[in-house]
Amino acid sequence: MEAEPVPSGPLLEALPAGERVGLAVRGLVRHYARDVTVGPLSFTVAEGEFFSLLGPSGCGKTTTLRCIAGFEPVDAGAIELAGRRIEKVPPHKREIGLVFQTPMLFPHLTVRENVAFGLSVHGFPRREVARRAATMLELVGLSDLGQRRPNQLSGGQQQRAALARSLVLEPPLLLLDEPFSSLDLKLRVQMREELRKLQRRLRKTTIFVTHDQTEALALSHHIAVLSSGRIEQIGTPQEIYGQPASRFVADFIGNANLLDAEVLRWREGIAEIVTESGLRLLARTAAAPAARRLTALVRPELIRIGTAAASVANAFTAEVREVVYLGDEAQYRLRLGERAELLLVRKLTGGDDGLPDASVMNVGIDPRDIVLLSR
Amino acid sequence: MSESIPAISSSLAAEPEAARTRLLRHGSLWLLGPYVLVLVAFLAVPLGNIGVLSFFTSSSARLWSPVLTLANYRQIANGYFLDLVGRTLAIGAVATVICAALGYPLAYYLARCSRAALAIALFLLIMPLMVSAVIEAFGWIAILGREGLLNTALASLGVTFRVDVLYSQRAVLIALVQLLLPVMTLPLMSAIEDIPVRLEEVAQNLGASPLVAFRRVLLPLSLPGLVSGGLLCFTVAISVVVTPALLGGRLGRMLGNEIYDQALSAYDWPFASSLAMVLVLLVFAAIAAILATGPRRQTRGGRA
Repeated sequence: MEAEPVPSGPLLEALPAGERVGLAVRGLVRHYARDVTVGPLSFTVAEGEFFSLLGPSGCGKTTTLRCIAGFEPVDAGAIELAGRRIEKVPPHKREIGLVFQTPMLFPHLTVRENVAFGLSVHGFPRREVARRAATMLELVGLSDLGQRRPNQLSGGQQQRAALARSLVLEPPLLLLDEPFSSLDLKLRVQMREELRKLQRRLRKTTIFVTHDQTEALALSHHIAVLSSGRIEQIGTPQEIYGQPASRFVADFIGNANLLDAEVLRWREGIAEIVTESGLRLLARTAAAPAARRLTALVRPELIRIGTAAASVANAFTAEVREVVYLGDEAQYRLRLGERAELLLVRKLTGGDDGLPDASVMNVGIDPRDIVLLSR
Repeated sequence: MSESIPAISSSLAAEPEAARTRLLRHGSLWLLGPYVLVLVAFLAVPLGNIGVLSFFTSSSARLWSPVLTLANYRQIANGYFLDLVGRTLAIGAVATVICAALGYPLAYYLARCSRAALAIALFLLIMPLMVSAVIEAFGWIAILGREGLLNTALASLGVTFRVDVLYSQRAVLIALVQLLLPVMTLPLMSAIEDIPVRLEEVAQNLGASPLVAFRRVLLPLSLPGLVSGGLLCFTVAISVVVTPALLGGRLGRMLGNEIYDQALSAYDWPFASSLAMVLVLLVFAAIAAILATGPRRQTRGGRA
């Protein structure tokens, strides 16, 4: 985990309601290999929105992106860009920007010529090409390096040049396929912030493919979580993290205590459950649980300790089995009762004394911090 | 000659020169020894011999007499032999251009196809190289002859048109293209293989049609392969003997035939030697010209 703060408040980021649809994918199916099928997938991306496809490798996110760009044929379904069907249009006529994992700059051209490539292919007059390329190079901070060859740039500069090369054509849609995965961690965080500012400033409709949840959470207005070629959930970063729709989403994003449990009773928005490891818990849930057997999600950072633990409904005494120190935070493996194990994560902050250096502690779980997932 | 290729992906960039050459110290030059020895014994010495011979005087009694003269070279400057040189260069150039035109699509397919298809296609491409040029030429005679396969097939189809190309420059060209296509295609294929498919996708994504992407990305990046293939093709084409001898007739004679005849029919070794020297100089000139105008080693700082 990084010390990077999660973007503050959803309201700062929210798109105005009723935004026009930029891209609509309806029932997209692609048989990728003999027995690997992506889809059917359906999602819409609003104009100006930053939309992420998040999932483990092999989940079909890159295939989906390549279908939208036109490099992968579509076996069924429709792709609409600004209301126009494009799934049959050849890639060079789609006018969609695409940035790959590796910069893929043309090695025989200078950085400026790389950025100018699309413009000159489109037949813009020479002066216009030069002017727009210069403006774009300035936007990504490469004005002084225009005459260099791609291999004379650092990895981050190369990827910025690749971004500029796509953006200079002012495409209605920008596709980013894990554009930072070839960079080291520090540079990734820096590039991520640059991309964030750039996207918010240009209000460019963007689809971002990543397996890095931190990137997706930090950048996106909406995230679609993919698994085995299917969409598990589409939602805002807050919804994806706080209200995961499935066990897979809960497990894939962030740390999670997933406790298989059985519902004993439900009354007035409170469910009483007992986990297979023998913990009795109260969980707040507005609707009656759909099934008797389900999975309870408890985020490790939401577990309370010490005096704060006493004031919540689910209070236990726990034994500390293992402590993992990670610099800015610590992870504790706790044993509750006979068999139950819980992961607890604590940020190590200045005023806080962290965890008491004890082998036994009081822990509490607020019923509002438990999410019940169907199994 | 693939100097522009490592730049494509920085992760694949060549390791620093110092690291690569660390194991080679000055004493390591002896590794070149055996090859240099072969070169000197079987190329440099005979070639020097021919060079000297080309300045000797012809002698009907003793093949040559060691009297220095420029008469052999003066004789080449007369019209017939100049025509021969011109025709040889023209046939070589046209064969090279046709090979390039046919070789590019083929090389592209080979570079991008599946491994299984590549194995079969490479076998088909290379197999003719295992057959002697003499046998191939006889094959072409059987196909192109007045009563050959082609004309028999045309006649049986009721077509009155007859192909009459045997014993002409065109017959030589057809056979040369067939002979040299693999020589052009293989270097081109390996050059195209080194160009990531993604690079072509980027070009298309930026609005380049497949044709424009070829002209502006694939062609410049595969130029080193085209140059080495073309050079090989051209130098082999202008020095062939068997193909024009069997298929060219009087109209398709090339420099190699003249050298052969002067040495083995006319027994004028000094004149044959001077013709041979002209051929060698032409090959050198072709190499020099192509290297001078071809893709320059890109200047680049830092890593490379």
